[in-house]
Amino acid sequence: MDILVGSLFAGLLIGMILALVALGLTIIFGVMDIVNFAHGEFLMIGMYTGLLTAQGLGIDPLFTLPAAAFVGFLLGIICYFGFIKFIIRGPMVAQLLGTFGLMLLLRNLALLIFGSEDRAVHTGLLVDKSFDIGMGIIVPATKLAAAGLSVVAFFAVWLLMHRTRVGKALTATALDAQGARYMGIPTERMNALAWGIGGASVTIAGALLVNFWSVNPFIGLLFTMIAFAIVALGGFGSIPGAFFAGLVVGLITEIPGFWDFFSYTFDAEWMMDVPMTSFKYMWVYVAYFLIVVFRPRGLFGWKQ
Amino acid sequence: MEAIKNALDFSDSPRIDLIVAGAIGIAIIAFPLFPHSSFAMSTMIQFLMFSLYGMGWNTIGGYGGQVDLGKAQYVGIGAYTTAVMLIRWDVPFWFSMPIGMCLSVGWSFIIGYPLFRLKGHYFAIATIATSLVLKDLFEVWDYVGASRGIEISPIEFPTPDFMRLLFRDDIYYFYVILGFFFLGILYINWFRRSRLGFQLRSIKDNEDVARSLGINVHWAKIKTYAIATAFVSMVGSFHACYVKNIEPEDTMSLDISILIALMAMLGGAGSLWGPIIGAGILIPLKSYLKEWLGAQAGLVGIDLILYAIIIMLISAFEPRGVWGIVEKFRRKRRK
Amino acid sequence: MKALVKFWKSILLALLLLAFLVPAGAWAAEEIKIGVIYPLTGGAAAAGRELRAGAELAAKIANSTMADLPMTMAQNSGVKSLGGAKIKLIFKDHEGNPTLGADQAKKLILDDKVDGILGCYFSSVTKTVSAVCEQYGIPMINGSSTSPALTERGFKWFWRTTPHDKWFTKDLFELLVGLTEGKVKGVKAIPKKDIINVASACEKTEWGSHVSALIKDFCKEYKFKLRKSFLYAAKSADLSSEVRSLKASRADVMLFASYTSDAILMVKTLKAQKAKPKIIWGQDAGFEKPEFRQTLGDSISGILTRTVFLPKVVEIKKLAGQVNDMYKRKTGNDLGGASARAFTGLQTWVAVLEKAGSTKPADIQAAANAIYIPGKELVVPWQGIKFATTGNEMGQNVLGSGLIGQYQKNKEGKIELEIVYPFDVSSADMIFPFAGF
Repeated sequence: MDILVGSLFAGLLIGMILALVALGLTIIFGVMDIVNFAHGEFLMIGMYTGLLTAQGLGIDPLFTLPAAAFVGFLLGIICYFGFIKFIIRGPMVAQLLGTFGLMLLLRNLALLIFGSEDRAVHTGLLVDKSFDIGMGIIVPATKLAAAGLSVVAFFAVWLLMHRTRVGKALTATALDAQGARYMGIPTERMNALAWGIGGASVTIAGALLVNFWSVNPFIGLLFTMIAFAIVALGGFGSIPGAFFAGLVVGLITEIPGFWDFFSYTFDAEWMMDVPMTSFKYMWVYVAYFLIVVFRPRGLFGWKQ
Repeated sequence: MEAIKNALDFSDSPRIDLIVAGAIGIAIIAFPLFPHSSFAMSTMIQFLMFSLYGMGWNTIGGYGGQVDLGKAQYVGIGAYTTAVMLIRWDVPFWFSMPIGMCLSVGWSFIIGYPLFRLKGHYFAIATIATSLVLKDLFEVWDYVGASRGIEISPIEFPTPDFMRLLFRDDIYYFYVILGFFFLGILYINWFRRSRLGFQLRSIKDNEDVARSLGINVHWAKIKTYAIATAFVSMVGSFHACYVKNIEPEDTMSLDISILIALMAMLGGAGSLWGPIIGAGILIPLKSYLKEWLGAQAGLVGIDLILYAIIIMLISAFEPRGVWGIVEKFRRKRRK
Repeated sequence: MKALVKFWKSILLALLLLAFLVPAGAWAAEEIKIGVIYPLTGGAAAAGRELRAGAELAAKIANSTMADLPMTMAQNSGVKSLGGAKIKLIFKDHEGNPTLGADQAKKLILDDKVDGILGCYFSSVTKTVSAVCEQYGIPMINGSSTSPALTERGFKWFWRTTPHDKWFTKDLFELLVGLTEGKVKGVKAIPKKDIINVASACEKTEWGSHVSALIKDFCKEYKFKLRKSFLYAAKSADLSSEVRSLKASRADVMLFASYTSDAILMVKTLKAQKAKPKIIWGQDAGFEKPEFRQTLGDSISGILTRTVFLPKVVEIKKLAGQVNDMYKRKTGNDLGGASARAFTGLQTWVAVLEKAGSTKPADIQAAANAIYIPGKELVVPWQGIKFATTGNEMGQNVLGSGLIGQYQKNKEGKIELEIVYPFDVSSADMIFPFAGF
């Protein structure tokens, strides 16, 4: 029983953080209809920022969020003005491969600068502390805090998009760029802003993630794929969609845990032999495929 | 007969193209006669292999306009079919390769049907997803050696062996893949002028118009995808015999899918010579960069950074690749 | 004027001709080239550095005379039977990629024309590199890859000095049985039912999957219950669901086969989830690296690891201490399993060359098959080096042995590895059960 609850908890917690990772992607897509293959690399940069700021300034990793947000915002804007702006005019092929190139560039720059070895947070206020919620289930405090802060960040972005003038302008551009332009909303600036906010949200997620997930230059791709799955499930462009889809995908990554639970409950030898742990993320890819083929709109999205 | 005539018909290319192509072709054939290091030889073989991969990709990615980033799974199917059939049933390459192609094409139809309901980035990501799923499955499937992969041991399979395509020296592999290379070029030449080729071109231009003309868009794409798959699978089978050791991580990784697409794009997707040019630039670049920067641990990944920059520049300023630049230049001169 | 020009031209021509006529081999005899293929970059770069340092140290000792070291190769400068020819190491990086490793091997053999190869640490890379060597008939000595399959292929150009995982895993089960029989220093006999539940998590590579299979077999043979056994992706950045799976299995004994980064991650995760098995054991590799100790600090107290060399051996063998000092001066770290075996690998090369008296492959092959290096000349606590020439494990050193060490806090509060197996050379009481994090 404890396995079931433990997995549920872990799945939901990680889901909240994954939702934040996907948030940036859905904003950029919503406003500009471009898909950023380098999204996971932004996350990776966010993780390194969080880690190095914490180590450099000697502060707790959880307080590095503003630094990460700043870096992410800047990175998004630079990418837009320096590169993305040029490829949106081109054919789809160019856009796809362009952001792919960006992904390779960021990944290998990180490799050059940081080296390929794993790095992780070792000291901090909450590191090594955990809560025992009964039944022997241990929840690390860092994960709990990260999940909580994700929800807060999510809410903050939602507020930004729907309650501020800037946010409303962004939403308008997302819904109808042409119309928004007639209303005097400068598309170019909105695009850049989308990249800035999108970049910031994913780097914040990175700074949160690095508290319990080690970082190396190659982890970007996995998160890009997970983010795509979440955005597809929740609907490209929908912020609440990203949140709920994030939870669902978080639970999907815990399928091996649920499988374990069933195999122990039914004491089924054959179930224990199935190497479920090897397939941790495979189900996410399968889910992506099924959703995109059978229900492209996702749960809440309005774009096809 | 008609088809063969079409394949050999290069008359629509400017003479200068044919002269250059011919000269390069002769140079490649004569290459082994000059003193060369084993390093240069293996780079050459890589170039020919990736040209073929790229040519295959180009049918659906270039002429078809649908960016496919999941070709590695077919490299895997081709490679594993050949390796497994050799290890378990002693089936020579020349039989297992076509069988591998059939299996790959079969799989491509199965996932192609739902896949081609998608377009653009959805399609691209879905292709990545399928490739990763297949790789994960191969990693736990004991029949194909799971993550340990399959080794073609030189003790059990002495070289040289033409039927099984097992040689010690690279030069035999060179000529075999060179043969495939020329056949590939002829095939693509035929393809771009075939009915399917024309259909694809109108689909790429404007899908709705194509459909109104009576073209079965969905089916055309699936057929083209199958052709791309067949190319890739064939080279995958060759790869198994050349490298004699295949593992999912090595043979079916996403990096290979990306490289294939990248080369074709760089050289010029949608043109005959594009993938070859792309491979001709990127493969030597990769090999020689690695060699020069080699074990100096401080400069890992520089070759990929260079790639990345090249790709970014091309996609921003000349999405039609090197060939696109050539054509643009020509159009200007004509004016 | 014309005559002068002609004169100089002909001198030049003559010199050029001479240069071609004089066989290049005449100068090459001063040097013996050994290609060394290690993971110098990539995830195992740290191990690669150690391996390289170990090999370089051995080459240095071979190429110079150090009379106070009781090793044959230290007594002469260079290889005596080859006129004092010096060993030259040509390093190549395989980055952990088996295909790249094979390519590098071909380059070394065909372009650099090496006389032999040493490498490659990762069993998956050793597999492909040795296949290339077998194809070309170039001898290869392997110092630290432990997948049993490597010597079961019947290759005639491959020799392995290190014992392999079958022996090491057997050692572990002997230790477990020893616990039940009171043979372990400092621990009274334990009822078997207390440690009967076993779980294993191994990396999904050539090496890891073999270890996993061996654990399954030995559990059956020694009658332990394997409650959960799985392989995990080596490059994982998060192992929490894997650890949760292990905890759920309620195993008393947890066994791991991991390279450095996931060994560290695994233990961190075990700690975070407060896993409390009675025994934690790692199949060397990551568990034995300096990074492991440095990163995890005191929390590793009580963890067991298979090892081939640890600093405590210095107390048993003076030679080990001498070489360890040299190594420490060179790198700042103590010798470890990887560096010690790389050192031994190259030392074996020198001994084989010495015996062969030539660099012709056939002569080297004959020498390797007949070589015997007594244990007292090795830094590792083995009986010696002698390769099997018949049976189904050709090329395997039959005189090697493993150790099982346990991390313990010593009197000064530092964490050190103590020997707990074999029982007769154990250097301290074993901590049992694992005290928890």
